[in-house]
Amino acid sequence: MFCVLVVSNIDLKADTPTAKPSTFLKSPIRDDVINVNNDYRYMKLGYYVSLHAEILGDRVIPSTKDCIDAYRTPILLLRASRGGVPTIPYLITDSPKHILKEFELPVIVFPLSPFTFNRLTVVKSKSTLYKAVRNLSSNHRYTVCAQPFYGELISCKSFFGRCYHNNRDVKDTARRVYEISKIPLCKLLIQRSKHRIYLCGLQPLNLDEITLSDMVKISRVLSCGEGLFD
Amino acid sequence: MTRIACFVEKYNFQHSREAEALHLFKLSAEQMGHRFDFIFKSDFSEIPSYDAVFIRATTDPLYTSYLVSKTAWELGLRVVDDPNSIRICANKIHQYELFGKHNIPHIPTLVISRDEIHRKQIQEVFDLFGRPVVLKAPYTSFSKYVEKVACETSFRHFAKRFSRRSDMLVVQKFVPTRFDWRVGVLNDEILYVCKYMMPNGGWKHGVKRKGKNSFRWGRTVALKKKNAPSKLKETALNACSVIGHGLYGVDIKEVDGEFIVVEVNDNPSIYRGYEDLWDRDIYEKIIRYLAA
Repeated sequence: MFCVLVVSNIDLKADTPTAKPSTFLKSPIRDDVINVNNDYRYMKLGYYVSLHAEILGDRVIPSTKDCIDAYRTPILLLRASRGGVPTIPYLITDSPKHILKEFELPVIVFPLSPFTFNRLTVVKSKSTLYKAVRNLSSNHRYTVCAQPFYGELISCKSFFGRCYHNNRDVKDTARRVYEISKIPLCKLLIQRSKHRIYLCGLQPLNLDEITLSDMVKISRVLSCGEGLFD
Repeated sequence: MTRIACFVEKYNFQHSREAEALHLFKLSAEQMGHRFDFIFKSDFSEIPSYDAVFIRATTDPLYTSYLVSKTAWELGLRVVDDPNSIRICANKIHQYELFGKHNIPHIPTLVISRDEIHRKQIQEVFDLFGRPVVLKAPYTSFSKYVEKVACETSFRHFAKRFSRRSDMLVVQKFVPTRFDWRVGVLNDEILYVCKYMMPNGGWKHGVKRKGKNSFRWGRTVALKKKNAPSKLKETALNACSVIGHGLYGVDIKEVDGEFIVVEVNDNPSIYRGYEDLWDRDIYEKIIRYLAA
């Protein structure tokens, strides 16, 4: 029997023992832990659950290292491309001129500032690029991550690498990104261009984006979740 | 020859002593036959062309410095500060949990969740530690986001402010001392020892000027390493051993002859004439470590 402790801020109906994050954070439980949370951002509750498990010496999914690295777009793309996931060239800068020098418009700009959450901008003109970079970089104090925008941007939910999109390549990308990042619940940002799929980024989910049918899917993965720690 | 990139931001050159120290790093590296370039955030794509990266800009997992460190690390470059040290040192909760686990003597500490900040909990904190207590955001650095609070109103005020970025906060017993020891450590070896004095009327090394954005800093008094208490050096090395083998600045309080760790900082300040006063070789030692 697959037996781990699931720590979750979502109401799951899995057959495995489950604890709320607030209960787990006060407990000295020694077990394998699967941290199921909509948001693993640095210094948020989901992050502290993984940290607590690591300090106790538990095996935990995801690790604090993975929590930090998955949401930092350049790190995610670097790790993904080394893991064989198709990615797009990216540029880290605080200068619109630098972006224009490297890429043709349109471009997609991700903020790298600590104070922004789930934001990105697709920029089609030079004037909007200046405005977008200023906004997303907190007035050039932080950098942004810019990538060329090839075509369609697909956003899909991924639960333990299972993505319920009808495109096989998107499903395959979700599975491979999970193998690299180990983030149980997330939103993947993928670009599709001429039948090719490229990973763009990974973002936390808002709690209201997780539907009842999603909860059933997550519970099902956890109930037959053997191999999650392999 | 090792190609060393030193990641800095403009503010690293604002204080003349810090700027001088940075130029001493460059000078030492070049005298040792290495290349030493300052790189800024716009030079990110240049990282793969170097053999080692030395980070002097403020570190935090959410800043560009972490991206630099992690990218260099993933590419197999030698890095100071390495991503693991940044991850642990930038989050004081992580650090105190490790100190607790490994029995490193540290200031009595409580971690509280943002949701637990209510009258009963605050009263329990005051009952446990007395008044005032020190409230810390986990991401504190350079004396910022650390406040002394003695009543429920100010506790709530600062807790609300600090919890904008973190769901958990640190509460510590207030331990007043005239100075904090600062011990510089590199790769399990003591680099330098100083005293960070509290400015007049202050209880921490940096005190914010009223109505201004600037800080008033206490003096830095450097000591010869051999004259520093051996128990101090031992405590500093033990504290660093639970974090990693990089470059750290350990803050320690001396209370009744006992040494208790306040915190371990990655990316410690190195200013010419302060930390290096008795240990001019710190530049050479750090460069040698990067070039190894």
